[in-house]
Amino acid sequence: MSNESEILHVGIDLGTSRSAISASNGERFVVDSFVGWPADMVARKVLKRDVLIGHEAVANRTMLDLHRPLERGLLKEGSDKDVEAVRELLKHLLRLVGVSSNGKIDSSNVRAVVGVPAASLRTNKQYLRNSMKGIVDSLMIVSEPFAVAYGLNALLHTMIIDIGAGTTDFCVMKGRYPGEEDQRTLTNAGDSLDTQLLKLIEERYPQANVTIFMVREWKEKHSFVGEPPSRVLVTAPVKGVPTELDITNEMRAACETLVPPTIETMLDLLSRVEPEFQERVRNNVILSGGGGLIRNLSSTLEAALKQVGGGKVTHMRDPVFVGSDGGLALALDAPDEDWEKLTA
Amino acid sequence: MRAGNIERVKRKALREAVAENLDTIRGLPPRSLRPAHRTLRAFLRRAPLLIIPLMLAGFAYLTSSSVPAAATVKVPVQSLPSQPVQRASVVTPAPALLTDSLQTVSASAFPLSVRRVVLDAGHGGTDPGASSTSNVSEKDITLDIEQRLGTMLRKNGFEVVSTRGDDRLIPLRERAHLANSSKSDIFVSIHVNSIPQGNNHGVETYYLGPTNDPSLTQLAAKENLTSGYALADLRKLLDRVYADVRRDESQRLASVVQHQLFSGLRGVDPGLENWGVKRAPFIVLVATDMPAILAEVGCLSNEREAEMLRSSAYREQIAQALFHGINAYARANDAPQRKGT
Ligand SMILES: Nc1ncnc2c1ncn2[C@@H]1O[C@H](COP(=O)(O)OP(=O)(O)O)[C@@H](O)[C@H]1O
Ligand SMILES: [Mg+2]
Ligand SMILES: [Zn+2]
Repeated sequence: MSNESEILHVGIDLGTSRSAISASNGERFVVDSFVGWPADMVARKVLKRDVLIGHEAVANRTMLDLHRPLERGLLKEGSDKDVEAVRELLKHLLRLVGVSSNGKIDSSNVRAVVGVPAASLRTNKQYLRNSMKGIVDSLMIVSEPFAVAYGLNALLHTMIIDIGAGTTDFCVMKGRYPGEEDQRTLTNAGDSLDTQLLKLIEERYPQANVTIFMVREWKEKHSFVGEPPSRVLVTAPVKGVPTELDITNEMRAACETLVPPTIETMLDLLSRVEPEFQERVRNNVILSGGGGLIRNLSSTLEAALKQVGGGKVTHMRDPVFVGSDGGLALALDAPDEDWEKLTA
Repeated sequence: MRAGNIERVKRKALREAVAENLDTIRGLPPRSLRPAHRTLRAFLRRAPLLIIPLMLAGFAYLTSSSVPAAATVKVPVQSLPSQPVQRASVVTPAPALLTDSLQTVSASAFPLSVRRVVLDAGHGGTDPGASSTSNVSEKDITLDIEQRLGTMLRKNGFEVVSTRGDDRLIPLRERAHLANSSKSDIFVSIHVNSIPQGNNHGVETYYLGPTNDPSLTQLAAKENLTSGYALADLRKLLDRVYADVRRDESQRLASVVQHQLFSGLRGVDPGLENWGVKRAPFIVLVATDMPAILAEVGCLSNEREAEMLRSSAYREQIAQALFHGINAYARANDAPQRKGT
């Protein structure tokens, strides 16, 4: 039924904390990967909605049964709520680019490439696919680092290190669709950094009233490893009085918890690359994801590469749509006959 | 790398990505797992068959409306066996304080930080609450326990405010209003559970907060029926309370009360289960200003326990357990305060 010209291609990055969509009609959106249902009858009446998504869900979190469906990089098997959350998130992203039952684009004309945390594909590919059934006409699920690499034309002799919220995904591109041996996943990532930072601040300032949400904001503003670019001063209530706190050392210590596991995994994956290509991979390390924005992180990783002959680490300045743009590129490049077989 | 080369690599990788997806559609395991792991493969083939019914079942459960099981059952107001309380027959579980041997004392004699307690007997009047097959309704049991507990508290120097002293329906809103205007220190709401599925029984104590558990949401919906609040007010209440400063205190009160309830009643009822301290959004807890809890002190759906709840000795025991909980909480609150003043 679908008329060729009406087909919409989309690339979706389903992240552990942020999800983005890029569509062939030029629309791009990003939302927080939070889905919440009113916690009770009362909350439902107050919020006047059956489900809230993104920052709206975060803002009303106290009234909601709140889910981050891929929180640790996996879709929890057996959790109906997490499955529903993924579906709601996808439908929401699609609505944002104009897909709806009564809008101008019908979901039966949509072809979607969805990038997911690498670990979720490794362990429950089938479950994931079933969870997304029937939302669009055709669906292709790929590992997120692959979508990033595809979008950057970095499919050969490169290493992607994607530091997200729930997971850090590593992927070596060897000119093919990455297999298990090409990928690694760590749970040392943005969320674990937040937890660590909160703990350190609480230890140093036991009287201060600090929440994980405040800590995340401070981190996104002041994160760094190595020599401090400047002192990190923040304001938090101490016994109810707004007080300036110096958290330079805590920020550094928390951010640096990511460094050893990242270096270790990077070097391990490198050592598995065929010797004649190792140098090229070392010179093509790409840091993506929100955690890739930590100041001095790329130079710290470069310093580690010196031990094995030197290399170059670049980070994406604006990582938000890298994955979804890559997914869109995949969607547009896949031939029609393939899409016809990929019915969702 | 030349542009043509890049395009070739991209086409190859894309073909492989498509192939992986087609394998998944056909139910084949990931390429790297083939063909060695046959059992896993067999499982993966069947997984979709298992998952879809599970998802449907879960979905149906979540969307089913929470029809209050109890509200529709109309039971004639039948007073409980009304023999006078026989103190001697009560098995006392080694309490920290013997309630029956003490003289009534004036509240002002104690510089208690918890001095005034609001007792809220759940339901009442046209709202019977839960009921059992043996014609006992929740509203009668809660009122009886509330009165026994009130007596014990007064004897031990507390002031008691009751939200209802008789068999009347008082909207939750008014109960909260009474509690707040009385400037009381804590709020204790007494309820009796009814669990539709299963025949187990236990005690549990709630404090205010959102919950992830759909069955608790249903329970709260059931207990919130007679709220008397307009929606506009609810918004304000919820904003204030879901991020509540009283939560820690309420949780502490809930913990000691739950501990006393369980340890005090297990002795007489070995089958009793400890369902612990939980959070749920009950309106009486939302609207009250002071630390507030809601105790489900028994289970009318369990035949044997319904029988026990008909006995005044058992209800006295429940009241005692609640008293010990409240008293322990008050004591703990006083301890540091004495030093300061
Ligand atoms: N400037 C920054 N420095 C450090 N961490 C950051 C910065 N900006 C964002 N983050 C963190 O990056 C994570 C989100 O990155 P993202 O790639 O969107 O994750 P995901 O794909 O897992 O949702 C969050 O933990 C966020 O706090
Ligand atoms: Mg990501
Ligand atoms: Zn009740």
